[in-house]
Amino acid sequence: MKKFLNEPNNFVDEMLEGIYKAHPAVTYAADDKRCLVTSKVKAGKVGIATGGGSGHLPLFLGYVGDGMLDGAAVGGVFQSPSAEQMYQVTRHIDQGAGVLYIFGNYSGDIINFDMAAELADLDGIQVRQVVGNDDVASSVVGEEHKRRGVAGIFFVYKAAGAAAAEGLSLDEVTRLADKARLRTRTMGVALSSCVVPEIGHATFSIGEDEMEIGMGIHGEPGISRKKLAPADKVIDEMMERIFAEQDYKRGDDVAVLVNGLGGTPMEELYILFRRVSQLLEERGVTARHVWVGEFATSMEMAGASVSILHLDEELDRLVSAPANTPFFKHLAG
Amino acid sequence: MDRITASDIIRLFEAWKALFAQQREFLISLDGKVGDSDLGITMSKSFAAAAEALEVEGEAAGISKLLRTAGATMARTAPSTMGTLTATGFLRASKAVEGRDALGTADIAAFWRAFRDGVAERGKAKVGDKTLLDVLDPIAVTLEAQAAVGASLAQALAATSAAAEQALEATKSMLAQHGKAAAFQEKTIGLQDAGATVGYFLIRRMAEFVAEA
Repeated sequence: MKKFLNEPNNFVDEMLEGIYKAHPAVTYAADDKRCLVTSKVKAGKVGIATGGGSGHLPLFLGYVGDGMLDGAAVGGVFQSPSAEQMYQVTRHIDQGAGVLYIFGNYSGDIINFDMAAELADLDGIQVRQVVGNDDVASSVVGEEHKRRGVAGIFFVYKAAGAAAAEGLSLDEVTRLADKARLRTRTMGVALSSCVVPEIGHATFSIGEDEMEIGMGIHGEPGISRKKLAPADKVIDEMMERIFAEQDYKRGDDVAVLVNGLGGTPMEELYILFRRVSQLLEERGVTARHVWVGEFATSMEMAGASVSILHLDEELDRLVSAPANTPFFKHLAG
Repeated sequence: MDRITASDIIRLFEAWKALFAQQREFLISLDGKVGDSDLGITMSKSFAAAAEALEVEGEAAGISKLLRTAGATMARTAPSTMGTLTATGFLRASKAVEGRDALGTADIAAFWRAFRDGVAERGKAKVGDKTLLDVLDPIAVTLEAQAAVGASLAQALAATSAAAEQALEATKSMLAQHGKAAAFQEKTIGLQDAGATVGYFLIRRMAEFVAEA
C-alpha cells in the first residue's frame, strides 16, 4: 500500500479537517466533525440530507452547498455513519419544512437512516426518503429494489436540490427526487482494486489484463470478469445494458455522467464519453447535459461508470439550475 | 405485582442494566464466534445509558415517555445493528402503551407485539432467519394467548419466558441469514443466535422482576 497517511485510524477525521479549512461554506453540527452541514441554512427551505461511508469523494459530502444538499453524515471508510449523526444533521438543517434523505441502497445506511427518521419524528420533524438504486449490474429487472446506489445518485441530488431551492414542498421535492431516481441508470467497470487504509491491502485481486463489468463501488462482485477489451467495446457492452432498461426514443434528451472511480485518468474518461456520445447519436438521443470527471470514487480503484438520466421537461429544468458546492459548481443552463 | 407502573419501569431498566453488565463477557464471546464481538459492549453500554436517563427523567414522565426516552437514548449510545433494533423496539412499545399509567397482561402483550413488529420492520428479517425476531415472535404470540385466557401478569410472563427459552434453543439449528454471521453460514449451526439471546434475557428478567415483587 502506498498512501499519504499519518495514522490510518485518523484517515477520515484528518480528511474532514482539511475539508473544513478548505471550504468555509461547510461546517459541522453537534460538535461532531462527521455531521457536516452547510454554513448557511436557508430559512423555510426543505432540507436535504445524505450520508454514507468515506472513500468516495466527491460523494457524499462534496455536494453540500447551494442548489444541492444541506448536510451529510460521514461514516468511516466504506462504513455507514451512525443514526445519531444522521439525526443531528437532520435537526440542524430542518427549517420547519421537513427533510428529505437521499442515500444509497446499502443495509447499514438504510437501518441507520430509518432510525434517524424515527428520532426526528419524535421531535416533530417530517422526514421522507429516496433510496438510490441506479446500479443496473447489481440485480435484474423486476428486482430493482435490490440494486445498489452508485454514481447516479448525483442526478437525484441535483434534481432534489434544485427543487428545494425553488421553494417547493417536501412532498414535491420528494416526488421529483424519486422521478430522477427512477429515470437514472448506471453501469460500472473496474480495472483494479481499492485499498481501505485501516486494512492496508487490496480489497480484491484482479489480473493485469482483466476487467470486471458491473463491479460495485466497494468491490462488490460484478456481472462478468474477462480480458480487458478496447474502450469502445467496453462502452458498447455497458450502454447496451443501460439502453435495454428504458424506452429511449429518437428525439429524447438525456444527461450523461462519465465518472472515474479514482485511479483512471481524465483522458481515458473522455475516450469513454466519445463512444457514449456516438451511441446516443446513432439512436437520435441528445446529450443535453454532460459531466465527465470524478463524482463517486472508490479510493484508488481504476475504472469508470456511466450514468444516464432520461430527461423530461421538469427534470431538464432542475438539472439545468445553478449549483455551488465544494466539489460541484454549475452555472445555470 | 400484577401491574407494572412508571416507577417499576425505572427499576426494571436498572435490573436490565445490571443483567447486561453481568452478561457482557458471555455475549462478547457468543457474538465473537460468528460476528464482530461487539454485542456485549453494545448491550451493556446502551442499557446503562437508558437506565441512567430514566433515573433522571423520573416516574412523573409516565410509562410511555419513559420508554421513549429509553429507546432514543439507546439509539444514540449504541450505533450498531442490535442497538438500533432494541432502540426501535422500545420506541414502538412506547407508542403501544401511550396513555396507560400501569401495564397489565394485555398491555404487556401490546408492548411486546409492538416491540416485535418494530424489530421485524427495521431489521427486515423473517421468522426463522436466526435473529432476535425468532425469540420476539413467540414472546408476542405467547403473551397474546395468555392475555386471551385472562392469565395474571406473573403467570403470563413465566409462561412467556419458558417459551422464549425454547425458541432460543431452536435457533441453534437455524442458518444465519443476516449480518456478519450470514457469511459463516453452516458454521452457525449448533450455535444459539446472539441477538436472540438478548431477547431471551430481556423477557426472563422482566418475568423475574414481576415475580420478585
